[in-house]
Amino acid sequence: MKVFNWKNTYFLYFLTSLLWACGGSGEVNNPPTPTDEGKNRTIILTHLADNIIIPAYANFKGKFDIMKSKSDAFASQPSISSLGEFRTAWSEAYIEWQKVELFDFGPAEKQTLHSFYNIYPASEKGINDNITNPNANLEVPASNAQQGFPALDYLINGVGKTDTEILVYYTTAADATQRIAYLKRLTSRMELLLGKVTTDWNGAYRETFITKTSLDIGGSTSLMVNGLVLHYERYIRSGKFGIPSGAMMNGVVSAEKVEAFYKKDLSQILAKSAHQAYVDFFNGKAIKTGTEGPSLKTYLNALGAKDSSTGKSLTDLLNAQFDVNKARIDGLKLNLYEEVKTNNQAMKDVYTEMQKATRMLKVDMTSAMSITITYTDNDGD
Amino acid sequence: MMVINNVIQKYFQKTTSVAPLAVFRICFGLLMLASIVRFWSKGWIEQLYIKPLYFFPFYGFEFIKPLGEYTYLLFIICGTSALLVAFGWFYRIAIVSLFLSFTYIELLDKSTYLNHYYFVSLVCFLLIFLPAHVYFSVDAYKNRKILAQHIPQWNIDALKLMLGILYFYAGLAKINSDWLVHALPLKIWLPARNDIPIIGFLFNLSWIPFVFSWFGCLYDLCIPFLLSYSRTRLFAYFAVVVFHVLTALLFPIGVFPHVMIVVALIFFSSDFHQKIIDKVSTWVKFPLEFIRPSAFKTYFPSSYVKGVFAVFFMIQLLFPFRYLLYSDELFWTEEGYRFSWRVMLLEKAGYVQFTVKDKDGKQMIINNNAFLTTLQEKMMSTQPDMILQYAHILRDYYAKNGFDSPEIYVDSYVALNGRMGKPLISPTTNLAKETESFYHKSWILPLNENIKGF
Repeated sequence: MKVFNWKNTYFLYFLTSLLWACGGSGEVNNPPTPTDEGKNRTIILTHLADNIIIPAYANFKGKFDIMKSKSDAFASQPSISSLGEFRTAWSEAYIEWQKVELFDFGPAEKQTLHSFYNIYPASEKGINDNITNPNANLEVPASNAQQGFPALDYLINGVGKTDTEILVYYTTAADATQRIAYLKRLTSRMELLLGKVTTDWNGAYRETFITKTSLDIGGSTSLMVNGLVLHYERYIRSGKFGIPSGAMMNGVVSAEKVEAFYKKDLSQILAKSAHQAYVDFFNGKAIKTGTEGPSLKTYLNALGAKDSSTGKSLTDLLNAQFDVNKARIDGLKLNLYEEVKTNNQAMKDVYTEMQKATRMLKVDMTSAMSITITYTDNDGD
Repeated sequence: MMVINNVIQKYFQKTTSVAPLAVFRICFGLLMLASIVRFWSKGWIEQLYIKPLYFFPFYGFEFIKPLGEYTYLLFIICGTSALLVAFGWFYRIAIVSLFLSFTYIELLDKSTYLNHYYFVSLVCFLLIFLPAHVYFSVDAYKNRKILAQHIPQWNIDALKLMLGILYFYAGLAKINSDWLVHALPLKIWLPARNDIPIIGFLFNLSWIPFVFSWFGCLYDLCIPFLLSYSRTRLFAYFAVVVFHVLTALLFPIGVFPHVMIVVALIFFSSDFHQKIIDKVSTWVKFPLEFIRPSAFKTYFPSSYVKGVFAVFFMIQLLFPFRYLLYSDELFWTEEGYRFSWRVMLLEKAGYVQFTVKDKDGKQMIINNNAFLTTLQEKMMSTQPDMILQYAHILRDYYAKNGFDSPEIYVDSYVALNGRMGKPLISPTTNLAKETESFYHKSWILPLNENIKGF
C-alpha cells in the first residue's frame, strides 16, 4: 500500500512536469523557423549542398578553368603578357579556392583535395627534383608540397626576381621544356582531382550527403562538422596565422610559411576570403542570392544552444567572435610576410582571437549538437 | 528489539528454491561470454588495450599493468571462465577467475570505465560466495553430494539487492536540477536522434526530453520495488524491456541494456525459473533424479559469507555518497563520481592544450595525439584526475627527453551540459608537482554554479 501511494505522488510530479513542459514549449516555438524544421538536418544539408557547396564548386571551377587555359596559353607561348595573365588568373582561382577549401568532407576528403591543392610552404627542392623526373609520383603525401597552388606560386612568382628572369626560366634556360611540362602536369592534376570532386557532388554524393543525417561517426552531419572544425582550427587559425607568427610554434617565427609566400601581396586577401567563406557557410548564406538559409546557425538556434549565465545564444557569441576576427584580419597588411617581419604582434593577436572561436566551434558547438570530434589534432606539427 | 531480532533471525532461516540462482548463473555466464566475443570481434582489445602507448590506471591500482599481446590471453581466460560459470563446471575456480580477469581488464584504463562493467565485477564477486553451482550444473551432475534444491532466501535476495541498489542510486543521481528542471543532457542528445524512423520526429518536440528525463528518473527509483511485488512484476519487467530496448536504440551503450534485461529475471518466482529448467531438461533429456532428486536437500553457504555480504553492502550503500565529502560541484570536478551509478548524466566536452617548460626557458606545446588515443584524449580532457595523470606522463617523458625538471601547465576549456565552456584547471598550476590523493584538488577551478540535488 505504501509503495502504491508513493508511486502516485511521483506520478503527480510527472504529470505536473509534463504540463509545465508543454506550457514552456510555446516560447521555444516562437522563432520564425518552426522547431521541427529548424532541427531537420536534411533541410539544412540540402540547402548547404544546393545553395552553397555545389555553386561554390561551380564558381571555383569557372575560375580554375580560366587559370588552366591561361596556364596552357603561357605554356605554348611564354611571354611577359601571357605570364601576367596566368598570374592574374592564378590569383583569382586561389581566392576562389578559399571558398571551397572548407568543404573538406565527402568527395574532397576522399580525394584529399586540400592536401594536393594547398599545402604550403611549397617544397622548392621537391619541385625542382620533379621537374627533372617527369615520372615523380604526385599521388603520395610526400608530394603534397610539390603541387597545387603553392607550387604554382613558386613557379610563376618565385623562380626569378623579375618577370624577365622568370620568362628566361621557361624559355631559354636548359630545363625550360621540362619546366613547362611540370607546370602543365600540375594544372592537369588539379583539374583531374577537381573534376572527380565536382562530379561526385553533382552526382550521387549529394543524395548521400542530405540523407545520411546521422550525428554518429560516419553520418554526413558528423563528417561535415568534424571537417569544418578541423578546417578552422588547422588551416585558418594555425596555417594562416599560428604557424607563421610563431604563436603556436613556441615562439619560432617562420614568416616564410605564410600562404602565397612568393606572390607576397595576396596572403591577407586569401585569409580574408577563407574566413568570410567560413562565416557565410556557418550562417547558411546562399552563394547566388546572398540570403541566409538553414544552416549550422539555425540548427544551433533551434536547439536553443546558449550561454545559460547570460542568455546569449551560442550563434550570436560565435558571430560576434567571427566579427572580431574579421576586423583583426582586415587590419593587416596585404602582405602577411611583411606583417610577420615588422608587426608580428598583430598576427599573434589574430591567432589569439581565432583560438576563442576555435574553442566555441570545437567544444560548445559540437557539444550542443551532440557530435563527437573524431579527427586527431596535430597542433604544433 | 527482541521482535526485530526475531524477524531478522527468521529471515535468515528462510530457504527457497535454488532454481532462480541456477538460471541466473547460466544467463550471466553466457552473456559474459557473448560480450567478450563481441568485444574481441570489434577489434577493441587491440584498439583499447594494446595500441595505446600510455594507460590511466585507477588510484591505488597502479599495479594493474597492460599486458601487451597477452591481453588476448586474459580475454581467453575471461571468456572460458564465463563459459565454465554458465555450465557450472569447476564453478568456484571459474567464478573467481572470471571475477579477477574481468576486473583486471576493467581496471586497466579509466578511459574505458563504464558503470555496467563495475556492476558485472560486483555481481561476479557476489557469485563467488553464492552456491550457484549446486543445482543444474556440471559440478552437481558429477558430484551428487553437492546437489541441492534449496538455498537460503538471502542468497537470492543479495543479487536482487545489488540490482536494486544500482537502479535506485541511478534514480537518486537523476534527482538534480540539470536532469529534472532543464532536461539536460537529454535535451542535447535526443534531437541528435530525430532522424531515426517512426519515433524520430518526437525528439524535435521540446517537451519530450522532459518526459524522458522524468520517466527515466521515476523508472530507476521504482523499478526495484515494482519488480519485487508479484502483482506489479510482469508490468515492471515489460517496462524494463521497453526502457532498455529504447536506450539501446538511442544511445551507444553496448551490452548494458541486454545485461539489465537478463539480470532482472532474478526477480521472477522460483516456479518461473523451475519451468525454464524443466523445459531445458526435457530437451536435453537430463535424468529426472538430477532435476527432481528424491532426497530433498538445502545447501547452506559457510557462515562467514553473511559477514562478507554485510560489509560489502554497507560499502555499496555508502560509497556512492562519498561525493558529499568534496566541496565543489560533482559534475564539474567528478570527485567521487565513478562507482556511484551515475549513468548518462553528463554531456561534457573539452579541449586541453598542455605546455611543457623548464628552468632554461625551453617551452613546447604538446600534441596530445602523440601520446593518447582519440578515446583517451576525449576522456582525459574533461576529467581532472586523468588530466593530472596525463601531466605526469608528460613530465616523465620530457624529463628523459631534454627538459630539466619539466613543468607542465594546461590550458583547458570544458563545456558541461550545454553551459558555455570555461577553464577547468588553473592554468598557472604546475601539474608536474601536484599529486593524486583522495583530497579535493585545489587546482580545479570552480564551476561557479550550483547544480542542485543528489
